Amino acid sequence: MDFYQPTSLDAALALLAADPEALPLAGGATLVAMMNADLVEPSALVSLRDVAELQTIEAAADGGFRIGAMISHAALADEARLGGGNEVVRQAAARIAHPQVRNIGTLGGAVAHGDPSSDLPAALVAADAAIEIAGPAARRVVAAENFFEDYLTTALKPGEMVSAITLPVQPEGAVGHYEKFARVHGGYATLSVAVVLAMAGGECSHVRVALGAAGATPVRVDAAEARLLGSVLDADAVRDAAAILAEASDPIDDVRGSAEYRLMLVPRLLGRALAAAEGGA
Amino acid sequence: MDISLRINGEECALSVPASRTLLEALRDDMALTGAKNACNQGVCGSCTVLVDGMPVNACLVLAVNVTGRDITTIEGLGEGGELSVVQQAFVDAGAIQCGFCMSGMIVSATAFLAHNPMPSRDEIRTALSGNLCRCSGYVRVFDAVALAAQRLSP
Repeated sequence: MDFYQPTSLDAALALLAADPEALPLAGGATLVAMMNADLVEPSALVSLRDVAELQTIEAAADGGFRIGAMISHAALADEARLGGGNEVVRQAAARIAHPQVRNIGTLGGAVAHGDPSSDLPAALVAADAAIEIAGPAARRVVAAENFFEDYLTTALKPGEMVSAITLPVQPEGAVGHYEKFARVHGGYATLSVAVVLAMAGGECSHVRVALGAAGATPVRVDAAEARLLGSVLDADAVRDAAAILAEASDPIDDVRGSAEYRLMLVPRLLGRALAAAEGGA
Repeated sequence: MDISLRINGEECALSVPASRTLLEALRDDMALTGAKNACNQGVCGSCTVLVDGMPVNACLVLAVNVTGRDITTIEGLGEGGELSVVQQAFVDAGAIQCGFCMSGMIVSATAFLAHNPMPSRDEIRTALSGNLCRCSGYVRVFDAVALAAQRLSP
């Protein structure tokens, strides 16, 4: 296996374009684990460690953020500027695995892996984030909601990589919350609920909800949010919204919980997530 | 590939295949066997070492990707043949059972106390959540970290 350590994104893309079996190496938290388990055998690794343009968090003038793909989960979890609605992304990063993994794993790596049980995909969909993609021919941007296409399958085409995530300006007064249920601290979610909520005059004025580990991709449904909008988040509204989300979910049975159990968690975790967000809104 | 990095304060030059993990390089090339290989998946924390002062699972880090970095292993914590304060606290608190997870526990605790010198019990638990003990001897491990914090406080 060859190993390259380019210092620019263009150089990294050129190396990947030259060898279809080469893979970009971000932190390695997932890729090296897969190599250790003989699940992947890349012909070459293109390390992104020294690509400076992937390592920055920029606060946009409009209040949004652009976060480089190589920002570690630990750095993201410590990013105090991510408040309001975008707090959901900070909280999700803080709930990924353990300190040792958060120091290694990166935002771009987690997004590109596209594991629906991992924490960031649902949070990014709830925050209405956009994924910046760099490829040999062009750069493009895909909404997080459209980026995750299937289990471990994303909109990335061969030779492309995630270069940054952008977070939008959230509505005035919005609060983000990431509610995760896992068997053990730091484990993959049995189910998670990411929410961005704003209240006005006691009524819900903005809401985006995405479920993690509820299907092959994050689950978000317009009708569920429509049921919550304008409500006072009363028990009926939350129950109805949860029913709509559960109907759209297609979870799997695995060691973290049966599909049936996961569906039972939807109304409970949605209620907790909305209550936590409302408490801060 | 030829790489150079700093291990426990000493400059080291190594020649390793690109697929070799930092854990393998430490154990097999450098004979530093304090960091243990258990899960090789980043789950158990028994291979925890510090890279530039931050705890990482050495099994998830490729040696070629830490060129120029500063690595600290359990072997580098004590000075002049003496145990570090954290190591001694683990001994004194009776935290060590079979010992297999101890290197990782102590390295994690050392990094944690360096940036949170007066932690609560909950903060200790969270900080060590990435270190599994199959003897399930967690209570005395938490006692040991609290004892170390107390001894390190001015």
